[in-house]
Amino acid sequence: MAKDDLVVVRRLVQSLALWIAIIFIVATANSAARPQQSDTPDPAIERGHKEFQQACGFCHGPDATGARGPDLVRSPLVAHDVKGDLIGEVIRHGRPDKGMPAMPLTDAQVSDLAAFLHSRATLALRSNGLPREYPTEKLLTGNADAGKAFFNGAGGCNQCHSPTGDLDKVASKYSPLELEAHMLYPGGQHRTAVVTLPSGEQIKGPLVHADDFMVSLRDTSGWYRSFSRDGVKVELQDPLTAHRELLGKLTQADVHNLFAYLETLK
Amino acid sequence: MIFHFRGRIKGARESKNRGGSEPNFSCTVGRAVAALSLVLFGLALRLPLASAQALDPGALLKPATDTWPTYNGDYSGRRFSTLDQINAGNIHSLTLAWVFRTHSTTIKSTPLEVNGILYFSVPDNVWAVDARYGRTIWHYERKSEGDHIGHRGLAMYRNWLYFTTPDAHLVCLDAKDGTVRWIVELADPKLAYFSTMAPLVVRDHVIVGVSGDVTDVPGFLESIDPETGKIQWRWNTEPEPGQPGSETWPKDSDAILHGGGMTWMTGTYDPDLNLLYWGTGNPNPVLAGEGRPGDNLYTCSIVALNPDTGKLAWYFQPSPHDVHDWDAVETSVLFDAEFKGKPRKLLAQASRNGFFFVLDRTNGEHLVTSEFIEQTWAKGVDSRGRPIAKPEATPSPDGALVEPGSDGSTNWMAPSFNPQTGLFYVNARRLFSIYYNTVTGKAEGWGGRDRNLWANSTLRALDYRTGKIVWNRELGDGESISGILTTAGHLLFSSDNSGNLLALDPATGKTLWHLNAGERMDASPMTYELDGQQYLIFAVQDILYAFALPPTG
Repeated sequence: MAKDDLVVVRRLVQSLALWIAIIFIVATANSAARPQQSDTPDPAIERGHKEFQQACGFCHGPDATGARGPDLVRSPLVAHDVKGDLIGEVIRHGRPDKGMPAMPLTDAQVSDLAAFLHSRATLALRSNGLPREYPTEKLLTGNADAGKAFFNGAGGCNQCHSPTGDLDKVASKYSPLELEAHMLYPGGQHRTAVVTLPSGEQIKGPLVHADDFMVSLRDTSGWYRSFSRDGVKVELQDPLTAHRELLGKLTQADVHNLFAYLETLK
Repeated sequence: MIFHFRGRIKGARESKNRGGSEPNFSCTVGRAVAALSLVLFGLALRLPLASAQALDPGALLKPATDTWPTYNGDYSGRRFSTLDQINAGNIHSLTLAWVFRTHSTTIKSTPLEVNGILYFSVPDNVWAVDARYGRTIWHYERKSEGDHIGHRGLAMYRNWLYFTTPDAHLVCLDAKDGTVRWIVELADPKLAYFSTMAPLVVRDHVIVGVSGDVTDVPGFLESIDPETGKIQWRWNTEPEPGQPGSETWPKDSDAILHGGGMTWMTGTYDPDLNLLYWGTGNPNPVLAGEGRPGDNLYTCSIVALNPDTGKLAWYFQPSPHDVHDWDAVETSVLFDAEFKGKPRKLLAQASRNGFFFVLDRTNGEHLVTSEFIEQTWAKGVDSRGRPIAKPEATPSPDGALVEPGSDGSTNWMAPSFNPQTGLFYVNARRLFSIYYNTVTGKAEGWGGRDRNLWANSTLRALDYRTGKIVWNRELGDGESISGILTTAGHLLFSSDNSGNLLALDPATGKTLWHLNAGERMDASPMTYELDGQQYLIFAVQDILYAFALPPTG
């Protein structure tokens, strides 16, 4: 968040702070709406995994994604199986026509194998979400010194931000993925509207809404005011303009260098 | 009564009705002329209408002004109505005719309007509503598992409606009362197939597509017998090994069998050429393409198919080897117009990857490729008119910042082509996203995700001859999914991101009328005429708003 915004936020009356909090929650909820992987250890899955590696991995691959035998993560039979009812049939009777031998496994072993295979399919299904615990080292491919130089130089970040001010310990406040996203675009509504009436009088305050037809804001007394855009001159001051302009200019190296630099601010 | 069955009809059907009327692309057709031509057309074919409310598939060749009989209103996908009662001169007096509320999830479908009845849908639900008064005639509900992301609408053949479901079934309903005639399974919902699209009726074919890319399942398009529900043909997005196109997949893996390419939007059709034009979606795994080197045909493609056989006539691929989820399913709009001094049969698509393509629809010859909005992923265009991806725009473990994000520079919302202005209109988005490839072993499913950073939306008018932007109207922050309608009344209808319904001058983009409807329109507007009155329909969340001019006298 830019310095200007912090000043603005401090000045806000409680109702407006609440309103911004709602916006933030909605924005966060949107970004979090995508499925997240969860790593709930299930002993049955663990047992099934070991069993699978011993009994099945040679043909189907240790992670069930296929080797000599087919990929079972994408298997329609696994998709239709309920607690081993179909998988058990195949294990016990084999598929002699395809070279798969029958295996005399117990009900408990089949159940564990099924739990493992379903967990593998679920992981694939959920691969359209970002893991909550994303390894920082995967993101740390940039050069922190180059990032610092960009921050203070070509990027112009230091015109609004400071590593000892608003960004003090910023890497401790956010998860690495959150930090990377916030670094690129912090989001939220931070615009200030300056409305000039035909009389020349100016009304300035946090923007509530603007479209082609109207603009509304909270004035200095905290009251909501709205205007037709036909009758007034409107200037919208947005501290995020610089972020938007930068998005189209950043190279991948700039992104990763900047991230490496911000990760040092702990 | 509900019963399930599947079967194949061997052998292709021969076209029974070649050389039907040409789609009318002239600027203005008077209502009287249109009505008269419908009567003459009906007499010429001796339409065997079962009742006054039925829709003969022959009428789809030249929809009358009092009907909107397919998802796009006609086969061309132009979303241009010849109605001009509501026009630039009187739009300021537009008034509310009625309001209909479904108390459901967001309406994304475009209603059909046939003989005074609107038919529209949300997932699991269909309504028949009196198009004059906005009163319920019937409501059909069939609860199902599967993805309920949205629903685009219905198709109609004689007395029957065709409705796709979140569990990838096709339901045939009696349009009279919403009773079920039959239900067939299109694809296995346990493999995460689903369907949201409005089928397309071409003569005695119901053309139906499927959705789903969270599992690595192959895409396909089917033609279904409108009477029995049996399959007439199936076109598979991925070619058989050894067939043309299969060389664009790795030979030493099962990648081609799991390649995706869903057919999840309604296509368009040229009766003269007897060709269907269909868009296909992203290949799988979605963001992790390392296991499927090659162009991955026919994913992210525009394909021309014979509707009687499902045979591929030609293809064009807007996004070869896609790794960004940029489905090429946006409407392929058909129009006949001059190009470099010659009359041509054209096809235009503003694609999800940010590029505008114009092709000769007789043979797929590439004519124009241009950026309709800023993008950061392509470094140029190859000799075949296809964008060339920058390697550094590939999703990576440390994140690749790319414009557009996976939601695309545009998406399924309807574009429009207006023969009066010669302009192509699209709701476009600036959208930055950071794409992560999160794969640790073999990629399966998505294999990663992008994270949206900032988006805003703009309605753009393009010159089809060059792709150049003629005018641009900002719609506000966020991702618009509002569609567009243009009419012979010199009007363009859409919505901004602040919940304002808009009527713009299609020549300049100037606002001529607006109304704060409370929420953004996540659907595409449509229009029809009944009893001499032109109606405009906007779906806003779970509400249909019908507008008309005030009664005279």
